[in-house]
Amino acid sequence: MASVNPQHNNAPECVWIILFETFLLGDGEKKITETVVTSMSNCSDFLLKKEDHTLGNLLSEYLKKADKVLFAAYKVAHPNVAEVLLRVQTDGTITPREAFISTCKLLVSQLGHTGREFQKELALRQFADQGDQGGAGDGL
Amino acid sequence: MDYDPMAMDDPESLGPVVKVSESGKVRVKFELSNAELAFANSLRRVMLAEIPTIAIDLVEIEENSTVLADEFIAHRLGLIPLNASGAENLLYSRDCDCDEYCENCSVRLTLHAKCTGDEIMSVCARDLVPSSERINQTLGSPIITDEAGMGSLILKLRPGQSIKLQCIAKKGIAKEHAKWAPSAAIGFEYDPHNKLHHIDLWYEQDPKAEWPPSEYADWEEPPQEGEPFDYDAVANRFYFNVETSGSMPPQEIITEGIKVLQTKLAGLIHELSDEGDGDYNGPRSPEFGGGGVDGGWQDQGYTTPYGNNAGGSWSGPGGGTTPYGQTPYGGSGGWQ
Ligand SMILES: [Zn+2]
Repeated sequence: MASVNPQHNNAPECVWIILFETFLLGDGEKKITETVVTSMSNCSDFLLKKEDHTLGNLLSEYLKKADKVLFAAYKVAHPNVAEVLLRVQTDGTITPREAFISTCKLLVSQLGHTGREFQKELALRQFADQGDQGGAGDGL
Repeated sequence: MDYDPMAMDDPESLGPVVKVSESGKVRVKFELSNAELAFANSLRRVMLAEIPTIAIDLVEIEENSTVLADEFIAHRLGLIPLNASGAENLLYSRDCDCDEYCENCSVRLTLHAKCTGDEIMSVCARDLVPSSERINQTLGSPIITDEAGMGSLILKLRPGQSIKLQCIAKKGIAKEHAKWAPSAAIGFEYDPHNKLHHIDLWYEQDPKAEWPPSEYADWEEPPQEGEPFDYDAVANRFYFNVETSGSMPPQEIITEGIKVLQTKLAGLIHELSDEGDGDYNGPRSPEFGGGGVDGGWQDQGYTTPYGNNAGGSWSGPGGGTTPYGQTPYGGSGGWQ
């Protein structure tokens, strides 16, 4: 792409941009990489680039609650470096990656459910408010 | 991958519950219950920082005989709320094929005012004139909510002073700069009686007498006299108060926040599910030649387990493709 962001124009080395940029992936950077932790059984570290506590806390809390997951925790090692490290250990019946994926899927569906619930409740609220206004306005 | 931690008969009977207690032009108050603290907090964070909107990002000043410095005015212009409806169809300038900006990735606004009378003159947001070359005729219009119809005050002119400038409004998120925040504030509260002791109330004699009760205090059971502390209790009901800056309706901030979070998670699923060919392009910085979010990740969606039986009256026909389908939930027509 030919586009140039003038903000970043004067930094040819770009190292500090990769480090301190908070939401844009750098060249060749992958959103998520899995590294198997050899010192623990059925355990992987997931490194999420350009993410923060929003995903880190959400995923680790839900992984802790998931079936067949023995251990889950995350850290944002430095507040200026937009990386989340998430460690997941399972009981061996599924891989940490499978646990991670199904937790993500669960969350997507929970969010979808929340969105539909909100829409439904919002319509009810607006309907009730209209009723109130109509009643007051007409003096009924 | 037939591992599903939440396989259940009627998915809609479980999961978060929402109650809307107030819904207006400026704010929405709602209660989210049967949810984790982490879930509620992530939703709050995403509504604050990661919903795309549009704000003035470049200012070319042609003439400025006011008492204010150019950069001071530019900063004030950046903070003026602009209408973000249709911003999803606007490209990020970094992803656009143009050299710097064009009508596909920006909205141009001009400001030209001169004080010809003998009174001090106010220049307000309504004096910003958006050009007609924009993807729709509301995107980027200054938000005006005051009764006088003036909008935010930008600067004042003494007799004879004038200002002439051109602004380029671009799409962005509040993680980059707070001017892109769709919300003016998000109230977030739980446990109104502080039963969980997540906070220590400062007090002189008696915290009960010195701290006014929360507006949600009546919604939850107060602690009994001498009640032992429940070590297993967790927060379960969350009270949100989403106030818009004006750039989008407060109701939309919530639905958009949900979509943004779903899209993030869907990207992770996609990249982990088929690595190798998988090239989920999260937003990528342009100087490295990265593409935008229009990579190859939109063609194959997976269906949420909840999606297909959402055929209630609210979700439209056959909703349920995830964010990398078209709409994250509900039918393609958005909300019904
Ligand atoms: Zn462009």
